[in-house]
Amino acid sequence: MNRTLSIVVRRLGSLLATLVVMSFIIFMLVEIMPGDVAQMILGQSATEEAVTALREARGLNDPVLQRYGRWISGVVVGDLGESVYMQGVAINSILWRRVGHSLVLALTAFIMFVPLSIFFGVLAGVKEKKPTDSIVSFFGLATMALPEFVSGVFLITIFAVQLNWFPIVSVIPIGEGLFGNLNILILPALSITFVMFGYVSRMQRSSMIQVMNSDYVRAAILKGMPRNYVIFRHALKNALLPTITIIGMNMGWLFGGLVVVETLFGFPGMGSLLMTAIKTRDVPLIEACVLLITVIYSLSTMITDIMYSYLNPRIRFQGGQR
Amino acid sequence: MKRILSIVLILFLALPMVFAGGDKEAASTEKVVRVAEQVPGLITPGVWDGQAFSMNSSIYEYLVEINADTGALEPVLATSWSTDTGRRWEFKLRKGVTFHDGTPFTSADVKYTIERTQDPALGHLKKQDFEIVSSVETPDDYTVIINLKEQRPTFVYQLTDYNMAVLSSEYDYASLGESKPMGTGPFKMDQIIPKESAALSKNVNYWDPNLPKLDKILIYFVADIDASISMLESDRVDVVPFVTPVIKNRLDSTAGISVISPYQEQRFIAMTVDMKPFDDNRVRLALKYAMDPEIIARSVAKMELGDGAFYNETPIMNSLAEYKEIPHRGRDIEKAKALLAEAGYPNGVTVELTYASDHPFGNDLAQTIQELAEPAGFNIELKGYTRDIYLSQYWLNVPFSITGWGGRIDPSMLLALAFKSGGSWNESHLADPRVDALIDKISSEVDPEVRTGYYHELQELFYEEGSLINVQVPYLVAINDRVVDYKQPITMLPQYKYMDIK
Amino acid sequence: MKYILYQLKKHPLAIVGIAIILFWLIMASVGPSLLSYTHTAMDSENQMAAPGEEGHLLGTDSLGRDLLARIVYGSRSILTVALMTSIVSTFIGVILGFSAGYFGGKIDTTFLRGMDILMAIPPLVLSMVILGILGDSSILSLTLIVSIAFVPATARVSRGVLLTEKSQEYVSAARIRGESHLYIMFVEILPNTTGPIIVEATARFAYSIMMVASLGFLGVGLQPPTPDWGMMVIENKPIIAQAPWTVLFPALAIASLVIAISIFSDFVSKVLIHER
Repeated sequence: MNRTLSIVVRRLGSLLATLVVMSFIIFMLVEIMPGDVAQMILGQSATEEAVTALREARGLNDPVLQRYGRWISGVVVGDLGESVYMQGVAINSILWRRVGHSLVLALTAFIMFVPLSIFFGVLAGVKEKKPTDSIVSFFGLATMALPEFVSGVFLITIFAVQLNWFPIVSVIPIGEGLFGNLNILILPALSITFVMFGYVSRMQRSSMIQVMNSDYVRAAILKGMPRNYVIFRHALKNALLPTITIIGMNMGWLFGGLVVVETLFGFPGMGSLLMTAIKTRDVPLIEACVLLITVIYSLSTMITDIMYSYLNPRIRFQGGQR
Repeated sequence: MKRILSIVLILFLALPMVFAGGDKEAASTEKVVRVAEQVPGLITPGVWDGQAFSMNSSIYEYLVEINADTGALEPVLATSWSTDTGRRWEFKLRKGVTFHDGTPFTSADVKYTIERTQDPALGHLKKQDFEIVSSVETPDDYTVIINLKEQRPTFVYQLTDYNMAVLSSEYDYASLGESKPMGTGPFKMDQIIPKESAALSKNVNYWDPNLPKLDKILIYFVADIDASISMLESDRVDVVPFVTPVIKNRLDSTAGISVISPYQEQRFIAMTVDMKPFDDNRVRLALKYAMDPEIIARSVAKMELGDGAFYNETPIMNSLAEYKEIPHRGRDIEKAKALLAEAGYPNGVTVELTYASDHPFGNDLAQTIQELAEPAGFNIELKGYTRDIYLSQYWLNVPFSITGWGGRIDPSMLLALAFKSGGSWNESHLADPRVDALIDKISSEVDPEVRTGYYHELQELFYEEGSLINVQVPYLVAINDRVVDYKQPITMLPQYKYMDIK
Repeated sequence: MKYILYQLKKHPLAIVGIAIILFWLIMASVGPSLLSYTHTAMDSENQMAAPGEEGHLLGTDSLGRDLLARIVYGSRSILTVALMTSIVSTFIGVILGFSAGYFGGKIDTTFLRGMDILMAIPPLVLSMVILGILGDSSILSLTLIVSIAFVPATARVSRGVLLTEKSQEYVSAARIRGESHLYIMFVEILPNTTGPIIVEATARFAYSIMMVASLGFLGVGLQPPTPDWGMMVIENKPIIAQAPWTVLFPALAIASLVIAISIFSDFVSKVLIHER
């Protein structure tokens, strides 16, 4: 356990370092973008004095490093600043609600695609070269090739417009919360599931095939042990170990998919907030959203790495030859 | 083992069914209207960028408003007004009006609202228009006297502009304007979730005891117009403003939903007269000769010319009394080519057309112009940006642009802004002394018939040498037939106080 | 060569994949000259025509533009960007990955740190933020930015294969001979690593198509009237009930291309890696 703990601490440390550098890069990228923020808020007809006054008031004339310092010191204590478009409105009040929604959506997608991908990936691997394998493989390939917005559009048309099983737009009615409207999660999560299923099931299948072809498993079968027994008692365990890595490797697509899907379905999450922020050039909001997405993404990658180290006996019990 | 796996699998597939369920029906005894609007930027009057009209028009009020049916000026916070020659204006204010926070409405608030336009740190969008005010006097709590530097017989119309909502002199709009808007209007703000939704409810202390008829207005901020329409079709909202003609065609066959056109908007296609290539009037004429109004109407507005879409080459809308009908010159590609050659472009000319790609009609209009002008030798490169970027970074600085303009009940307001040399929104950089002179005469002329004569002169000038092509498009609102008495005059401010729902 | 043909016979699916890719390549290069309409011509009398009507093989959209023409023109831009992206990202990735693996030590650590940082943002988010901020997407900027987002992947693969080769005898032999580092890296080692690198490049090709289409959907892809397949899906979504073909055909185009490239990538990986 100590081994794992030290890994966790080390990873957290490097994560922090990465985030600091990342925050600086994000800040620089967004702040040096073309166009004067103050001018943008006030429009082209604004007078020179108004623009200058606004720049002063927002501290936009200070040197970049100072502005970064101000921002990051705020972030550290949890103050993400104010949205450019809403003076007096803290970004915090807008952001955390959306983060919660996105996490619920991601979780729903997770619950959908993880069991499905593992099950069908293993199945296809076990029945390699048989019809089942071909069908599953092709299905995985086909769904992987459809970007989320394409499958989303078709899902909406079939299940929402024609069949009316789900709402067309994933908007939460005013006055209600997400948990009273869980049906808005299904179609967006399904769109993400398609793509993730494609990637994860294919990799799971390869992993299963590799294990099935390993000497250990073949020997067991030759020795006369029933095939199913061998599969469930031995092969499966070994084939599932890389699953975590596989899922971890594809997290990037999950996050990207989240943005696309939220925009398509109008789901009030972080992805759609980022889109709105970009469209309205709301600099502090863009910075806050990107920073948060980066943090969560890095954390999830780190967690999968740690889980892999923990579950992989070779790493866990390193130091003692068994 | 396999069986267990299969059972688990089936369970997971069945899970979504638990949550399934189409769109809910709104069942309530309250009168609620739900609106889907675009996500607004700034909403404090003065810097309000002209979005989410349903929200601000219900929370704030104006001294006067335009009657949506007759176009006449109606008293709201001002009960009567009078002027001498248009230089000294006296307004009598309504008594017994309170702001939502309970403070009484007095002449001090009107003074504050007008003087605020000149605040240099604010960047008030009406600063230029109100520079003409020399002083505001408040002899008593219910009388306001506005003295102008020059005579403007139509000045009162300036007070109907959407950014001239009357604000409380005692409220801190700088800090609270965006998050807790507050006015004297028929509805007050209950809750606003930034970038997501706003909930308004009836102002029980409204000065007119018979209004408003509705109990609540729920506004959803939806970025995607298609999503808004889906919400309308599935009965989650009742009103969707700013729909496109394609959507209108789609909804025409839907029972229970109508698409109405409360007023017309303009699309100014501006040719900047101090930049190449449009600095030469022959080039401007060449472009005009390449245009085909019928194709434009069909492609852009999806209707026949004259049915709701109009074309002219002046800034005066055809619905106004001052309009003069000048027959279109007719598409003549050969003439256009000859003009270009004369101007020094025998092999055609390349120019960038900058416009707002997410504004209704923007994309279609830009692409139609590009197509129509191509045979004449115009190689038009399209540069589309989102509206906020277009307006804040490119608009007044490019050789060729398309901009949406609302109509003005008093066109002189627009003329001074957009076509007078030095006007703050003069997108075509027009600096023609004849135009300036005519605009001045129009602004200060008291006799309406003489004024109309000046308007006609102006239009003829524009036709021959102007910098403008004006495509009038219908402003379309999709509403559920249950909504009664939807009123929205040319000021773009919907009047929810009159509306009802069955 | 015979080996490749033999493998092809064993994997008929790969033939389908290659055929589809060739189809699109041909469409992109000579397609426009075979068309009867341009991608911007507006047949305003025939808006939203169904496939087959009035000479429009795949129908028209709401402006009356021929869908077939738009898809063919769109194939040019998407193939150009995707192809260039896979080449550029692989190129940069090889240089970075090789250097890191070859020189090791501080250079390698810096490389790994740098990649960690770049990988901290999901690639789509990174691309969308930068392109959204720039406001104006051209083929060049799209290629550049998506390549940057993909470099960590290609660099990691390159570094991996270089590390495997580093311990081989021919490398030490070359060092003893006194060859320069660049020589060893790119003349000795590179030819032996083409297999995995090409496989990675083809995978990047498939991902680029998805990425470009998604960016187009989000509105930060190529601007109109350049027909971007992703943009076509979203701009025609409002009329999907009246004219489903306007969404269906661009979607099929995207799907067919990605599936074909994925099949091809799988096939290449089997052939080339087996060859070792």
